[in-house]
This record gives sequence, structure tokens and C-alpha cells, in this order.
Amino acid sequence: MGFLWHQLREAVPLIWGGQGDVMRLGWVTLRLAFVATAIASVIGIPLGCAIGLGRFRGRRVVHAVANASLAVPSVVVGVVVLILLLPQGPLGGLRIEFTLKGVYIAQTLLALPYTVALTAAAVNALPPGLLEQARALGARRGQLARLALREARIGVMAAVIAALGTALSEVGAVVIVGGNIQNHDQTLASAVLQQTTDYTDYPEALAITIVLLVLIGVLMAALTVLGQRNDTLRLRLRTR
Amino acid sequence: MTLLWNELRTAVSLIAHGDPYLTQVIGFTLQVAAISTAVASAIGVPLGLVIGLGRFRGREALRILANASMGLPPVVVGLVLFLVFVPAGPLGSLHLNATRTGVFVVQSVLALPYTVALTIAAVRALPGGLSEQARMLGAGRAQLATLALREARVGVMAGVIAALATALSEVAAIVIVGGNVYGYDQTLASASLFATNAAMYAEALAIGIVLLALILLLIGGLSLLGQFGGGIRLRLGPSS
Repeated sequence: MGFLWHQLREAVPLIWGGQGDVMRLGWVTLRLAFVATAIASVIGIPLGCAIGLGRFRGRRVVHAVANASLAVPSVVVGVVVLILLLPQGPLGGLRIEFTLKGVYIAQTLLALPYTVALTAAAVNALPPGLLEQARALGARRGQLARLALREARIGVMAAVIAALGTALSEVGAVVIVGGNIQNHDQTLASAVLQQTTDYTDYPEALAITIVLLVLIGVLMAALTVLGQRNDTLRLRLRTR
Repeated sequence: MTLLWNELRTAVSLIAHGDPYLTQVIGFTLQVAAISTAVASAIGVPLGLVIGLGRFRGREALRILANASMGLPPVVVGLVLFLVFVPAGPLGSLHLNATRTGVFVVQSVLALPYTVALTIAAVRALPGGLSEQARMLGAGRAQLATLALREARVGVMAGVIAALATALSEVAAIVIVGGNVYGYDQTLASASLFATNAAMYAEALAIGIVLLALILLLIGGLSLLGQFGGGIRLRLGPSS
């Protein structure tokens, strides 16, 4: 145990000290996660709402596709985005391969399935009578969507938090699209990979890990609180 | 479009002609998935049953811990195990870094939270009266566990399939502990990282296609299960 303890002791001062790299990485990662999740929410929540509420043909298929897209390995998304962005590729004119901008695109695409599929699931889980009643009382689409989102808000928030969480721990797509270039387009998670495998700088890797764990811990606590609220909500509905 | 098209054509021919490297990577990936899921199920399902059914103190804390460990970034798990297996580390004498066995171990650890947490969730979702009744009728612990396992089998299977899916998409921890050694201990996902890094885009695409095919197979299995389960909602990805 002496070895681990020693590495950990060297890691802790690096969080604030060092060249300020760890805190900067944390800031870049947080911004990336929030921006990607925000874009994915703006696109995904209305889409999920439409899938959950709509009564168009093929909505079951669309819902199944949304659920399936949750399971697409992130490295696959990374490979496709990178090849599209390469100079000879269809989007090569943008010149954003191996840059943070490319990573933003990949992360947004990765967050999208969460906001779409989990919003659709949350809306689907609403008591069916509620929406029928609103429809019968003459609610229009916009009103119906707003009602559904308000009632399903906890599920939708859980979706957003899940998207944030995966964005924080993502490695595969970030490394593939960004090239994992130090001081350029690294995130906390991808920097841990490089510090361990390329530089064998274990204290630095541990320092970055500690910051990553703190961020994940905050998100997880939020999810747990939401989950408990959701439980009491369900209980109340059942007893009534 | 020509780059994408050319690479895609080469990728398809790599798959069609059974490229030896690709075949080796597919074989090892399936081996990793099978072994890690088997280990994680053998340990995780009984553990999940104990936590889900038990009436001891602290079981709620254990349940939250199991759920939280699903959200642990794999890169963190990879770093910690790597440091434990480093020659100077606590289990350094096992020499597991940069070996296939090391990859089996790290993936088993990563899969464990899924089998534990989803078994707990499946058991807890059983109608409350069921286990009470069995207890009143004098069922012993083992009988109770067998009964719960039989009734919650669809949810437990979903946990096993989720464990399989993580084995297919996992990158960071496998790269850190395994070292991503070409043609030796690469999985499809970690090989795609290697391939894009080496600008072997056709290989990367071929790997992506195979990965998607395997994931689709799993999703097919999951949706079949979902139909058996009659109304039980199953999804790969985070169970928040």
C-alpha cells in the first residue's frame, strides 16, 4: 500500500499547484460538457417530447431507434466524425479536425441520444389519463407539450444530468476526434489516459482523476436526490 | 465524399475477406465480453440478490453505492487498477499490466456494477407481497433467492446484457491496463483508437461497422427480452 499512498500524497498538491494545468483542464472539460449538453438539450428535449407525445405513424420505430442510439459505442461516433472532418472529407473545408471545435461536435452528438430517448421515456411514463384529459379539454400541441414537460420535469432533468455525466467521462470519441493533444483539446478524462500511458506521470494522472471524481460526485448526488423525489412522487400517485 | 467512399469500400472488403488482424481483434473482443460478463454475473447476481432481498442495516447505502458505481468514469477504474498492478504496487507481483489477463480483470470490474445494480433493481421491482408471502410460508433464504431470481429473470438478464454492451464499447480502462498492444490485447473499441491514431481510417471504419453489428445484435436480444417482460422498460445505457 506504500506505493499507492505515496503517489496519492504527491498528487494532492498538484491539483492547485503544478502549472495550474489540472484546474485549467477541469474548466475546459466543464465548459465542453455544459455546452454540448445545452445544445443537445435544445435539440433533443423537443424531439423527445414529440416522440413521446406524438401520434404519428412510425413513432414506435423512431422511439426504438432513439433507445438504440444510446448503445452506440462512442468510438464509432468518433471515427465517423473524424472522417467527415478530415481535409479530404465532406466537411474538411471547416478545418476543425484535431481541434476542440471538432470535440464539441462529437460530444454534442454523443449527448443527443440521452436527451432524446430519456425525455421520450419520461413523457411516456406520465399517467395516460393526464394527456387525454388535456386533449379533451382542447389543449393545443404547444400547450400539451408544455404540460407534459412540466409533469415529466424530473425525468427530463435526469436525462440532462446523465448526458452531463457521460460527457465528463468520455474518452474514446474525444481522443479520436481531437487527437488528445496536450494544452490544446484535452479533457480531464483524456488527459488521464495520456498522463498514464504516454508520460507515466502517475501523480499528475491521479490529481486529474480527483478533480474528475469530484465533478462526477456532484452530478451523482443530484441524480440521487432527483431519484428520491421521483420515488416519493410515484408513491403518492400510487396511494391515491 | 470520395475519401469517405474509398475508405468505406476498403473497410467493407477488409470485413468480407476476413482480414487476419481484424479477425484476431474480433475474437479477442468476444473473449473479453464473454469472460468479463461471466465473472461479473457470477459475483454480481448473488450480490444483487442479497442486497435486494436482505433486511440488514445499511442495505439502502449499499444500493446507492451500487448505482453510483455505474457512473464511475472507466478511466478512473483503469488508472486505479493499473497502479495496483504496477510492479511497485500492492498486486505488482501478479504482472497483469499489458497482458490479456489484465484486460479480463479490468473489464470484469467495470461490468460488476451493472450486474449488481440491475439485479437489485429487478428484485426490488417485484410485487411487494410476493417475497413476504414466501417468507410467511416458511421459505428459507436460498428458496427465497431462487424464487426472486426466477420472477425477476428478465431484469437480471437486462443487467447481463448491459454488462456485455460495456465490454464492447469500453476503451479507456482497457487501453490503460492492457496497453493497447497491436494484435495482442486490443478489443474492437481500443483498436479503433489505435487505428485512427495511426491514420488507418479504413481499418477504423471496418472496426466501427463490426462494433455496430454486434451492438445491434445485443439490442435485438434486449428488445426480445422486453417483449417477454411485458411492459418492463429496458434500455441500454445509464439507468438513472
